[in-house]
Amino acid sequence: MLPAMPPPTDVVFDAVAVYPQKATLRAALHSRDWSTCRAVLDAAAPMDRTALIGHVSQERGIEPFLRSVLTVDPADGTAAALLGTHLIDVGWEIRTGKRAKYVSREQFAQFREWLCRAEQVLIDGAMLNPGDPAIWKARLTSARGLSLGLAEVRRRYDRMQAADPGHLPGQFQMLQSYCPKWDGTWEQLHQFAREATEATPPGSPHAVLIVDAHIEHALDEGGLAEMVGYLSQPHVRADIYQAAQRSIGHPDFTRGYGWVGALSTFAMCFTILDDRNAAATAFRELGVLATEDPWHYLSANPAEEIRKARAWAFGGTR
Amino acid sequence: MITRHEVDGVPAVLAPADGPMHAGLVFRVGTADETLPLRGITRLVRHLVTAGSGTIGPEHTSFHFSGTATGIADFLTGVCAALRNPPADLIAAARERMATVRDRDPLPMWRYGARGYGVASYPEWALPGLTADQVQEWIAGYFTRENAALWVAGELPEDLRLDLPSGSRRPAPEAVTVLPATPACFPGDGGAGWDTVVRREAAAAVFANVLERRILHDLRDGDGVVASARTEYEPRADGTARILAVVDAAPDQREAALGGLIDVLAAMRAGRIDTDEVDAVVKLTCDGLRIAEARGARLPGQAFNLLGGREVQTLDDALTEVGAVTAAEVAEVAAAAYNAGLLMTPGRVRADWAGYLPAPEMSDTVLPGRVHRGRGDRRLRLISGDQGISVIEGDVVGTVRYDSCAALLAWPDGARQLIGQDAVMARVEPTLYRDAERAVRDVDAWIPARLRIEMPPRARDRIPRPRPAAGPDTPREGLRPLLTLLLAGTFAVFVVAGGLWVLATMIAESARHGSGALTDLGEYALVAAASILFGTFAGRLAVDAAVELRDRRRSRGAPGHE
Repeated sequence: MLPAMPPPTDVVFDAVAVYPQKATLRAALHSRDWSTCRAVLDAAAPMDRTALIGHVSQERGIEPFLRSVLTVDPADGTAAALLGTHLIDVGWEIRTGKRAKYVSREQFAQFREWLCRAEQVLIDGAMLNPGDPAIWKARLTSARGLSLGLAEVRRRYDRMQAADPGHLPGQFQMLQSYCPKWDGTWEQLHQFAREATEATPPGSPHAVLIVDAHIEHALDEGGLAEMVGYLSQPHVRADIYQAAQRSIGHPDFTRGYGWVGALSTFAMCFTILDDRNAAATAFRELGVLATEDPWHYLSANPAEEIRKARAWAFGGTR
Repeated sequence: MITRHEVDGVPAVLAPADGPMHAGLVFRVGTADETLPLRGITRLVRHLVTAGSGTIGPEHTSFHFSGTATGIADFLTGVCAALRNPPADLIAAARERMATVRDRDPLPMWRYGARGYGVASYPEWALPGLTADQVQEWIAGYFTRENAALWVAGELPEDLRLDLPSGSRRPAPEAVTVLPATPACFPGDGGAGWDTVVRREAAAAVFANVLERRILHDLRDGDGVVASARTEYEPRADGTARILAVVDAAPDQREAALGGLIDVLAAMRAGRIDTDEVDAVVKLTCDGLRIAEARGARLPGQAFNLLGGREVQTLDDALTEVGAVTAAEVAEVAAAAYNAGLLMTPGRVRADWAGYLPAPEMSDTVLPGRVHRGRGDRRLRLISGDQGISVIEGDVVGTVRYDSCAALLAWPDGARQLIGQDAVMARVEPTLYRDAERAVRDVDAWIPARLRIEMPPRARDRIPRPRPAAGPDTPREGLRPLLTLLLAGTFAVFVVAGGLWVLATMIAESARHGSGALTDLGEYALVAAASILFGTFAGRLAVDAAVELRDRRRSRGAPGHE
C-alpha cells in the first residue's frame, strides 16, 4: 500500500526552478548587458551552458543586440551560439513542429531562409571556436532542418563529441536526425541511443536516449493505443527498465543536467506501462517539476496530463 | 643558374641539371585559345607533329624530350619540320591515336562560360570534323617562332635547329567571367570541388599548399570523410593565378565532405591560419624549389615567363619571395580567395546556406518570336525569333542569342543544340515541338558555318519522344484528345445528320409544292448549309483529335518498336 500523501497540484515547467541563474541571464539579455550574460554562461558547466542558451534563445528581438556583440568581437563563441540558436528557433517557429506534409511551401521557404542565416553565424562561430559544443549542437539542428544529409550531421556530431564527449543536449538532436522522419532508420536510431548510453558512466542521465528512441518509434505506430502497444512489448519494456536502472534508479544519479527531463520521461513511460510504484517514485523525485517533453505527445495540455498521472501514481484513480 | 639564350630566333632558358638531359619547346597556345568549333585542335596538332610526350594547358603547349643531346636535337628539329609542313594525310591516324575519354574539369565552364578559359570543360565535339585547312591555319597562327620559347636542362645541343615559320606573339586571352557574383556554387555530378582566382604571388602558392594540408588534416585524418584531396596552383599570364581544390569522398560521405570543405574554407577566411603551418609550407616550398632547380624542373615555368613577357626568376629571387611569406599575408590571400570562390557541390545538395550564391543555370530572358508548342506537353515551348532561340520547359528557360552563340551542334536527324557564350544551351528537338522544322531552318540560316559542329547520327533511342506533361495536368492533358474526339465526333454526326434531314425535307417539300415555295426553300437551304458546315468543322476537330491520339500512342511505344 502506498503511503497516503496529498499529491502536489502544481506543475512547474519553468526552467528557472532548475536554473535559478536563468532569471539573471534573461534580465541581462533584456537590458543588453552582455558581460553579465557572459558571466552567467561562462560559469555554467558545458551541458548546463547549452541548456541555458536554449532556455533564453526564444526571447524576441535579440538579434540586433547579438549581432552588435559579434561585430565588436567576432570570436565570441557564446554570442554566436546564442544568436545561431535564436535564428533557428525563429525559423522553426514558422515551420512549426508538424510533419513535413502539413507545412506550406511559404513556411518552408521562410524556415530555410532563417536556417541559412543561422548557419552563416554558426559557421564562423564554429571555425573560431571549434571546441564550443553549444555551437555544434546548434549546427546539428540547422543541418537537419536544411536537409544537409545524415553524413554531414554525423560529421558535426563527431566535432561536438570531440569538444565535449557525451554532450547530451546535442545527442537529443542527433537522435532526431536518426529518426526515419528525418534522415535515418529505426536500426540506426536505437543503435545510436545504445552506444551513446554505453559511452557514459552509470548514473548519468544519458540512458534516457534509449527511452526517447522508443518513444519516437512508438509515436510512429499511430494513436495512443498503438503507442501503448509498442511500449508494452517485452523487449521494449526491458529496455526501459534497464535504462531506468542505469540512470534515475542508479545511486550515482545526481541533480545535474537533464535530471528533470529524464525523470519526466520515465514517469510518463511508467504511467503508460501501468507501473504505479515506479511512476510514483519518479514523481516523488520530481516534486512539482516536470518537462513538457514528452508529455506533450499525449495531450495538448501536458500539465493536466501530468497532474492526472501523478494523482493516479499517488493512489488515485485513472 | 639559369641563363638566357636564343636559338634561331626562339628565346631560350638553359640550366645545368643533375641526371639525364631534357628539353622542351613551348608555344603560347592552349585550350583557352580554342573555341568550341575548334575544341581539340591544339591536341590534334600535338599528336600530328609528334608521337612523343607533350602537355597542353589553358595557355601553353609543350613538346618535351629527355635523352642525349643528339636525341633532343632530332626530336625538336622533327617537331619544327612537322609544324612547317604538317602531314595532312596523317590527320586521321593522329585522331585515332588521341581517341581517349578524358576527365574534364567542370569548374571553368561555370566561371567562364563556353569561351576562353571555359572551353576546357567541353568535349572535343569538333575533333572528327576538323579539316587539314583548319589545322594549317591553327599552326600558322600559333606555332611560330615569335610565339615559342625553348628550355634546356643540360648543355645546349650544338646541332639544334628550330626552323619555325614566322608569325607573331599571341597574348593569352582575357579571362571574362560569367558569374554575376561570388562566392558562388553550382551542382556537380560527383565529388566536391572549389576554385578561385587570386593575384599571382608567392603567398597565393603558399596558401594553396596550406589549404591542401588543412583539408587533409581536418577532413581525412580528423573527420574521416574524405579519402584524398589535392590543391593546384596555376599561375596565369595576366598576373592572376587559379587555385583548385579537389576532394574525393565515398558516395555516402559526399555531403559530409562538402560540409567539411565549406568549414575549412570558412576557417581560412576567418583568418585561422596557423603560423607554424605557414612556416612548414614555406620551408617545404623552398626545399622543393632547390630540388627543382637542381633537376631543371624550374625551366618550363621560366619559358612560360618569357612568353608572358616576364623576367626569368632566379632561384635566389624565388627563395627570397617565398621565404618572406607570413601567416598574415596568407590570411589576406585566403580572404580574397574565399570571396572569389566557386564551389562545386555534390549532386542535389546546395551551398546557399553557407552564403554561396547559386551560379545561374538558365537564362533570365525569353526572346520574342514565333512560338512552337510542345507536342503533348504544354510545359514545353520553343520560340524562334530573329534574335535567337528560347526553349522553355516549365520554369526553366534556355535562351541563346544568335549574336552571342558559341557553337551549334547539328545532328543528321534535324536536332540542333545552340550553346551560348554564357554556356546556356537551347536544344531544338524536332520531335518535341509542333512545326519544329521551321525553327530548325531558322537556326541553320542564322548560324554561320564556322560555328557549326556536325554531330554523328544518333541511335533511335537517343532521339527524344514527346511525353505527356508531369504533374496534376497530366490526366486532363492526356484525356483531352479522346474527349474532343468523342464530343466533336458525336456532335458532327448529329449536326450533319440534321443538315441532311433538312435537305431531304427541303427536297420532299419542293417536290410536294412544285416550284411555288421558293422563299421557304431559301430558309431550309440556309439551315442545311450551316448545319453541314458546322458539322464538318466539328468533324475536323474530331479527326485532329484522332490523329493526335494515334501519334501519342506511337510516341509512348517502346523505343525502336514502331
